[in-house]
Amino acid sequence: MYAASHKKFDVIVIGGGHNGLVNAAYLAKAGKKVLLLEKRHVLGGASVTEEIFPGFKFTVFSYVVSLFRPEIIRDLNLTQHGLMILPLESTLTPLPDGRYLYRGPDHFENYRNIAMFSRRDADAYEDYSREMYFMAKAVKYILGVIPPHPTSLHPKELRGLLRMAQHFLGLPAEQFNILVRLMTMSSADFLLRWFESEPLLGTLSASGIIGTFLGPRSPGTAYVLLHHYMGEIDGAFRAWGFAKGGTGGIAEAIASAARSLGVHIRSSTQVSQVIVKDGKAAGVALADGEEIYARVVVSSLDPYHTFLKLVDPNQLPPEVVADVERYIFRGSSGKVNLALDAAPELACLSGPGAHLRGAISISPSIDYIEKAYDDAKYGDFSRRPYIDMIIPSMIDPDMAPPGKHVMSCFVQYAPYHLSQGSWDEKREAFGDAVVDTLAEYIPNLKDIILHRQVLTPLDIERTTGLSQGNIFQGELSLSQLFFLRPAAGLAQYRTPLRNYYQCGSATHPGGGITGAPGRLAALEILKDW
Amino acid sequence: MPNEFDAIIIGGGHNGLVCAAFLARASRRVLVLERRPVLGGAAAGEEVFPGFKVDTGASDAGLFNPRIVKDLNLENYGLRWLESPAVLFAPQLEAPGLTLWRDPERTRGEISRLSEKDAARYPGFIRQVSRFADILSGMLTLTPPSLPQWELKELLPWARAALMLKSLGEREMMEFIRLLPMPVADYLDEWFESPRLKAALAAGGVTGNFLGPRASGSALMLLYQAAHSGGAGFRASRFVQGGMGALIEALASAARRHGAEMRTGSQVARILLEDGGAVGVELTSGEQLRASAIASNANPVHTLFGLVGAANLEVRVVREVKNIRLRATLARVNLALDGLPEFTGAGHNGSHERLGGHILIAPDPDYIERAYDQAKYGEFSTQPLLDLTIPTINDPYLAPPGANLMCINAYYAPYKLNDGGWEGNKDKLLETVVAALAQYAPDLPAKITHIQVITPLELDAEYGLTGGDIYHGQMGLDQLLMMRPIPGYGRYRMPVENLHLCGAGAHPGGGVTGMPGYNAAREILKAGVTS
Repeated sequence: MYAASHKKFDVIVIGGGHNGLVNAAYLAKAGKKVLLLEKRHVLGGASVTEEIFPGFKFTVFSYVVSLFRPEIIRDLNLTQHGLMILPLESTLTPLPDGRYLYRGPDHFENYRNIAMFSRRDADAYEDYSREMYFMAKAVKYILGVIPPHPTSLHPKELRGLLRMAQHFLGLPAEQFNILVRLMTMSSADFLLRWFESEPLLGTLSASGIIGTFLGPRSPGTAYVLLHHYMGEIDGAFRAWGFAKGGTGGIAEAIASAARSLGVHIRSSTQVSQVIVKDGKAAGVALADGEEIYARVVVSSLDPYHTFLKLVDPNQLPPEVVADVERYIFRGSSGKVNLALDAAPELACLSGPGAHLRGAISISPSIDYIEKAYDDAKYGDFSRRPYIDMIIPSMIDPDMAPPGKHVMSCFVQYAPYHLSQGSWDEKREAFGDAVVDTLAEYIPNLKDIILHRQVLTPLDIERTTGLSQGNIFQGELSLSQLFFLRPAAGLAQYRTPLRNYYQCGSATHPGGGITGAPGRLAALEILKDW
Repeated sequence: MPNEFDAIIIGGGHNGLVCAAFLARASRRVLVLERRPVLGGAAAGEEVFPGFKVDTGASDAGLFNPRIVKDLNLENYGLRWLESPAVLFAPQLEAPGLTLWRDPERTRGEISRLSEKDAARYPGFIRQVSRFADILSGMLTLTPPSLPQWELKELLPWARAALMLKSLGEREMMEFIRLLPMPVADYLDEWFESPRLKAALAAGGVTGNFLGPRASGSALMLLYQAAHSGGAGFRASRFVQGGMGALIEALASAARRHGAEMRTGSQVARILLEDGGAVGVELTSGEQLRASAIASNANPVHTLFGLVGAANLEVRVVREVKNIRLRATLARVNLALDGLPEFTGAGHNGSHERLGGHILIAPDPDYIERAYDQAKYGEFSTQPLLDLTIPTINDPYLAPPGANLMCINAYYAPYKLNDGGWEGNKDKLLETVVAALAQYAPDLPAKITHIQVITPLELDAEYGLTGGDIYHGQMGLDQLLMMRPIPGYGRYRMPVENLHLCGAGAHPGGGVTGMPGYNAAREILKAGVTS
């Protein structure tokens, strides 16, 4: 294996997260000799499955999949390499008063369930779902284009802009207007155009805050809502899924595809520096001093590492350094993983059932989430957080020993910067807040917890390297999207250093397990070859 | 029977008067109908307390477009500007307050007491904001294209704005684009470290919008408030000699001079429709007046639902109008004072020059954000953001000798309160505001002789600001340009033939700018108003 380091490679990809793996696989597919280096012992970056407690497997950082691009699955034959996405068909919103809102695959049942809270909402729900489906389709186009540079007069850029303008101005007026609103409104205001019942509003608006340091009433969150609707599994939009074997299953499948295309993968290999010669990237130096040379170096890490740590900032134009320094990370989420001795019993819906195989969302109202955000705004974790929870072992029995379960809780808000104390002091208190909140809805929870893993934004940063623990490698705000992601002039996957590229979630189209930045970056790199 | 008028303007607010004046100047026969006994709408001067001329609504005309002043020769009709050397004074409890002067050099000295680093960056910041605000103000006089189904001729006027943008150079142009959706708090964090300075500047980003400084879009409002600000750079501020009422009088005189007629105390009950087009108005008295064009200075919701009637509109339009986001943000407290209160850290060498502009109670950006937090859940802020003026400092004749006037905008005040209505909470609001202010001006309570409190409910009932929204619809990114007031009707023409919108609900929006009225007049003339 280590013999590989003596060969000269065409490309070195830094970081074995899903985007790095996709990037490496596409470049190898185009005939390049690719070496991929991963700091940790496992591949996948933030999409890994690890056996934290004996017999219990966790998708440690991430939890669901929906955004992964179908063209990548096809191009890389990921299905043959073991990728299997199990549908996550339902969302249950338990309420403090013992009622619940359940939405599953059955259209008529959904209507009845929503109508228990508001008949108007039940009627509007169908309209809403249809509109969002059209919107996701309209915006899907964006996921496949390189952001044009709006200030350039280069014919290529102008063509790109024109094509984009044609695409969007070609939409029917109704859809165009909805799109403008999605790009600008808060998820709360956007949803209030359709709905009135709190459990539905709360749960839908939660998709607008995932991964961001914003509340449902903050303008800009409707875009994040849309971002989460762009998910497509086997061509069906807004289909959340759970990868067989956890999100690590995706990484393993891409890694397997990459290997079969000839990519050399070295894990437990930390890159300390990108070697720059004559203003061009020439290779990498590892933490142990080894140097590996290649024609092209690609970083799948976030801009802080890509521009300020892996290279000497003095080799970059000062305004690029300034842009990267002000790039907003703002980690806002934590993760709590629980190993359970038995199946959890919900107060609102006891016993086994389909609802345990779906997502369970602690989001009783918009105000509930907004108040959780208020706590975080001033530097504290939410006392009563928004929690999106799944029980992977209900869907994939291999995740836990027979009869036992794993519970994967995505928690917001947990700000990276605390106003008082440190995360090392507050980690368990944060875990307690999550378990206490859940126990209100799952009375037997505290009795069945065997192990608990609490991951704060600081832990996410320490383990995965994601700056400030931001799962999207930077806030998905309008001023950091598209031709501004990660910054003006850096949005086309290139860097000011020749032969040095970026391919992580900090590039267009942003975070989530999409694989799209990795793929688009590979296409740009090949154009320059 | 030929119509008596070419155009009837519903509402004599400043935009209605601007629209009337420009139509009259183009030789159209114009009638302005105002429901209240005085002209001016939310920019009126009224004798609320005996011997006082009170600006009951806006008191600062800094945003008023200079082009209108020039085209209508308003200075010939008695308009005189008063500019205080201090644009904004933010008192502090234990230390001298921070004053932002019209002269950036002087401000820089002031800031250096808080942070040398901030002082050094201030001129660059002012340069950027002024430059961006200039670009923006170039867009305020243009009619938005009707995207997505645009016509080339609608886009041509915007080519100039695009060129101006281009002339910024690549980096600054991208900065401008990046800035538009940003929260003002993030923008200021990029420039400065002093919370006090950041709060003083951030307040301009939240005026009139029901959002805190961490909300996306508030940086754009900072630029909007900085249009035509001249050298001061960050917030246009200019007062009118004789109070806001004098601007209204100048506008009305100019309009009359060109032949426009004004009737106060005349409330329009409905817009008369024939074959789906507006042909006139009916007053509450039953009188009917006909004209070939109607322009409404009322907000779009009242115009379309109250005056046209939802039954006369398409379902799609009804749905859009219903969804216009109207939000109350502020309550107004006007106080008559026998003497001038002493603010901590204002300096007392007989000079009150620090107090001549806006006085701001907001020690740091989080103070503003927390004030907003409370309002989100239906309470008025118990630690309110206060933005006040003492108009008598610049113009003593607004009050009897020795007396002073204080006009306070208190943020945030939602339209609907959780614990009962505004009726039972008016006194509590007043107490809260006076107590918050008395921390900085301990002798204030003893000097109060008269009080007027205008809650969002009264903004609605008395001034016709539906939902208490002073902007006739929130100026969020989703309600600007071709989306304002509703998509498809961003070019001043309403979904009813011959009906136009000339108030703040149309592009570019709220504030005493005169721009919606000015732009609407141009579009009405283009549409061809004939007798």
